Amino acid sequence: MIWEVFRQENAGDYHEHCGNVHAPDREMALMFAEVQHARRKPTNSLWVAPKDEIGEVDTEDAKFGGTTDKSYRWAVTYDFEAAASEVEESTDEQAEADRRRKVQQEKQEAQGGD
Amino acid sequence: MAVKESLPAPDELTDEQQEAVEHLLYRLADDEFVVAERYTEWQVRSPTLESDLALANIAQDELGHARLWYDLLEDFGYTESELVWERDPSEWRHSTLVEQPFAEGDWADAIVRSYLYDQAEYIRLEALEESSYPRIRDRIQKIIQEEDYHREHAENWMSRLAEEKQGLERLQTAFDRLFPYALTLFAPTDEDVEDRIDELGLRSDPLDVMREEWLDVVVPFFEDLGVSVDDAELPEQYDVHHSEFDLPEHVGRDQSHTDAWFDLQEEFTHTYQKLDRHEANRIMKDPDEA
Repeated sequence: MIWEVFRQENAGDYHEHCGNVHAPDREMALMFAEVQHARRKPTNSLWVAPKDEIGEVDTEDAKFGGTTDKSYRWAVTYDFEAAASEVEESTDEQAEADRRRKVQQEKQEAQGGD
Repeated sequence: MAVKESLPAPDELTDEQQEAVEHLLYRLADDEFVVAERYTEWQVRSPTLESDLALANIAQDELGHARLWYDLLEDFGYTESELVWERDPSEWRHSTLVEQPFAEGDWADAIVRSYLYDQAEYIRLEALEESSYPRIRDRIQKIIQEEDYHREHAENWMSRLAEEKQGLERLQTAFDRLFPYALTLFAPTDEDVEDRIDELGLRSDPLDVMREEWLDVVVPFFEDLGVSVDDAELPEQYDVHHSEFDLPEHVGRDQSHTDAWFDLQEEFTHTYQKLDRHEANRIMKDPDEA
């Protein structure tokens, strides 16, 4: 049985997928994961989850983010007067996300996507 | 137990004190080195990649612990070559449990051996936490923290092997074969020196007390799994002095060893001999500098 392993480097970080282990049950999976995925990297916590229990949807099945222009959903669209610093920070984050989304889109188009 | 008065620095010990410290260190260092040497035979041969890595990890831990103990023997002027690569095999003091070859291809042997060993290891490390010798005391915490994984590993494997008939039979066979040798873990190197180790407060429990403590842990664990200990010929309440215990012919602690040890020693010193080495390469900082 295959268990996917997720490693958290510091408290508060996300657990990130880092590989898998073969083990008959959860306890053994944790024990093996400890050696295989946390021995040589700084680790605060490990999760294991049975591979079969992980659900997946990918670009074959879904148009992530939709196909129409959704810029009206982004706060950046409504940015026409000086805002509070919290709003400004949030705006910057969203502008960055928007930029990345566009780069991604261009990349997909360049690869002959629709 | 309160800490006895601390012994002085290595170069200020009396001859009798130094002898006691040395015997204690050889027990520790030789066990760790030889058990690890045997574990490495499972490399690329373990049942799965995961179990291979887990046992390799344990072997590396034990080699690291051996290094910390041999380093304390170097305080008395010995070099690594004298302690490991050039020491006459008939002078080693490890228990004969750790030198036994594995029953071929028998993973249960590796697991039962590590269970018996690591439980004993934990008990003796606890008895050193308040050692009167500061150099030993200071290294215990580092080592003891790595031992939890070893015991958990052995226990997890044993309970899973015991779930099916064939696995249980393998556990039984390994237990019957290894248990008499495991008793030598608590055998004295020399009765007088061992008594001195206790009197000096180098460890807080004498060997027979630790052995009882160990039996109280391992015997019920095996019985709960369905492994019979009836053939182990345990004395009633196991509270006899160690010299009266029925030990195998070769005890290890007193420098008597089985033939398997001499073969193993030849094997791991082979390259050193062949390359006509006279000293060991150092690839790590001295533990005191780290």
